[in-house]
Amino acid sequence: MTRSLLGLGALALASMALALALGSVNVAPADLWQVIQGEGSTLHRTLLLDLRLPRTLAAFGTGGLLAVAGALMQVLLRNPLADPYVLGLSGGGAVGALLAMLAGMGTLIISGSAFGGAMLATVLVFGLAHGTGSWTPSRLLLTGVVVAAGWGAVITLMLAITPSYKLPGMLYWLMGDVSYARSPWPAVVVLVVSVVLIMPLARNLNVLARGPMQAAALGVAVRPLEWTIYVVASLLTATAVTTAGSIGFVGLIVPHMLRLILGNDQRIILPASALAGGTLLVLADTLARTMIAPEQLPVGVITALLGVPTFLYLLHRSR
Amino acid sequence: MIPRRLNISFVLGLLLLAFGHSVAASEGQRCAIDDVGKELCIVAPAQRVIALSPGATELMFAAGAGHKVVAVVSYSDYPPAALELPSVGSHTRVDMEALMALQPDLVVTWVTGNPPAQIELLQELGIPNFAIEPRTFDGVSNVIERLSTLTGTEAAGFAEAERFRLGIAALTERYRDVDPIPVFYQVWEKPLMTVNNEHLIGKVLKLCGAKNVFGGMSRLIPRISAEVVLQANPYAILTGSVDGQTNQELEDWKDYSGLTAVEKDNLLFVPASLISRPTPRLLEATQIICEKLEAARARL
Repeated sequence: MTRSLLGLGALALASMALALALGSVNVAPADLWQVIQGEGSTLHRTLLLDLRLPRTLAAFGTGGLLAVAGALMQVLLRNPLADPYVLGLSGGGAVGALLAMLAGMGTLIISGSAFGGAMLATVLVFGLAHGTGSWTPSRLLLTGVVVAAGWGAVITLMLAITPSYKLPGMLYWLMGDVSYARSPWPAVVVLVVSVVLIMPLARNLNVLARGPMQAAALGVAVRPLEWTIYVVASLLTATAVTTAGSIGFVGLIVPHMLRLILGNDQRIILPASALAGGTLLVLADTLARTMIAPEQLPVGVITALLGVPTFLYLLHRSR
Repeated sequence: MIPRRLNISFVLGLLLLAFGHSVAASEGQRCAIDDVGKELCIVAPAQRVIALSPGATELMFAAGAGHKVVAVVSYSDYPPAALELPSVGSHTRVDMEALMALQPDLVVTWVTGNPPAQIELLQELGIPNFAIEPRTFDGVSNVIERLSTLTGTEAAGFAEAERFRLGIAALTERYRDVDPIPVFYQVWEKPLMTVNNEHLIGKVLKLCGAKNVFGGMSRLIPRISAEVVLQANPYAILTGSVDGQTNQELEDWKDYSGLTAVEKDNLLFVPASLISRPTPRLLEATQIICEKLEAARARL
């Protein structure tokens, strides 16, 4: 099992190397090597260190965050269709970001507002699902889906009343785009820290995946564990949404893909999700910015185009 | 230790900057204030310019600096020479790598059209950038002057700006005393959109002696219903069309025979390419609109 993790790690490194080497501008391998050694022309240094490196890290961080959040949500809700956005986090984040864009704010405030919106969505769903009655995953799921529909309506309303010149920026944000990431560090740091912190809980998650009754019978404190997953997954998703808008698909498909290959052991699935999700988004973003360069595609298009056939193939083969 | 060293280099940097600044000033730098109020000073005339909107490309050529444009964005189709230039993506998504690789010494950006994050990145990478978005006739002529100042092509730029200014002044004079007729300008059919008086097209209508029926609305490009158009009963309906002659987009209005504009056959078209950008071609568009409205007025 550690072998598969090592393999995924190697794949992740290879994808990042590819992302650094490829771009709309051709940089010869010799020039790449010079930049790595701390030399090279100013232009090559700018291309690699100021443009490609931060973007690659941001893509990796975002992809990893989404995939881990997806894996956690699927365990928490015991629903294979759960993804990081199912509880309306991206909707809340989008409303926050769009409000800031509508007010003509700078990129930093847009990011902050997106994070605030996502956290507000988390608290809202938490509070409503908690309610007065008993708490169940299906109640959480239903609350989340309805709240998400509410955010969707607010987003549509905002798009309808927004001056047309602001629309492209908003639509690109909604599609998800790594080129808007100004700093990769929040995504990368949150990803690493949360995976390290959640790993000790992986064994309990395995038990929880079999159902709360069994988990309780086996001595797992189900309620605190579920809230922990919810809070962590929300934080991961909020960070991803803040970094690159709402990129779909990664959070849903990557954990499933890994389960088909590696089996459903969260001790493996969680770190593997971080690596594979990051790899997928790095590859997708590399294609998005080079395929029809200089025109730039939204990365979400490519994640789906890459992921759908891969997933269907794996699903077909597993029968 | 490290912060202190950073501080020293920072101070040294500032000193160098101040020294460099004074040298440059003595050689006479070129300064201009862009449309977001930011002053840009460059030491020598810009030689490698990238225009990040089709309008900016047109204005660069108008400023006599078309030969200094090294790259444009998609849809930069005027003047024809612009079609030959390499592209750095679209105005909503700039390929920053391609842009940096061309090593521009000036990037002309679009205030509301380019993504703010990419403009900030340009700023961080130390690329001189100049944001433009003319919203008045005067804005068009003086942005041409400012661009020519930055590229050292003042002779051509100021002459073109003056030609535009005089042309607009002549049209203003000519249509000053005509009877204003109510006009509806249709920006888009579905959803139905128009302009208010703050929009450059609104200003063209006013100049031609038209009363924009939705001029007083608060938004630049308001979305409206067909009902309010019927209620306003414009004497002419105007829209942009690709070939300037026919347009399916006004066909639906013919169902309302009670509309004065329909009754008097005043469904008018103007070439979309002339009116869609705040560039010197706006003069031509204004002339066409004024003439068409004059003919429409005669049919009433």
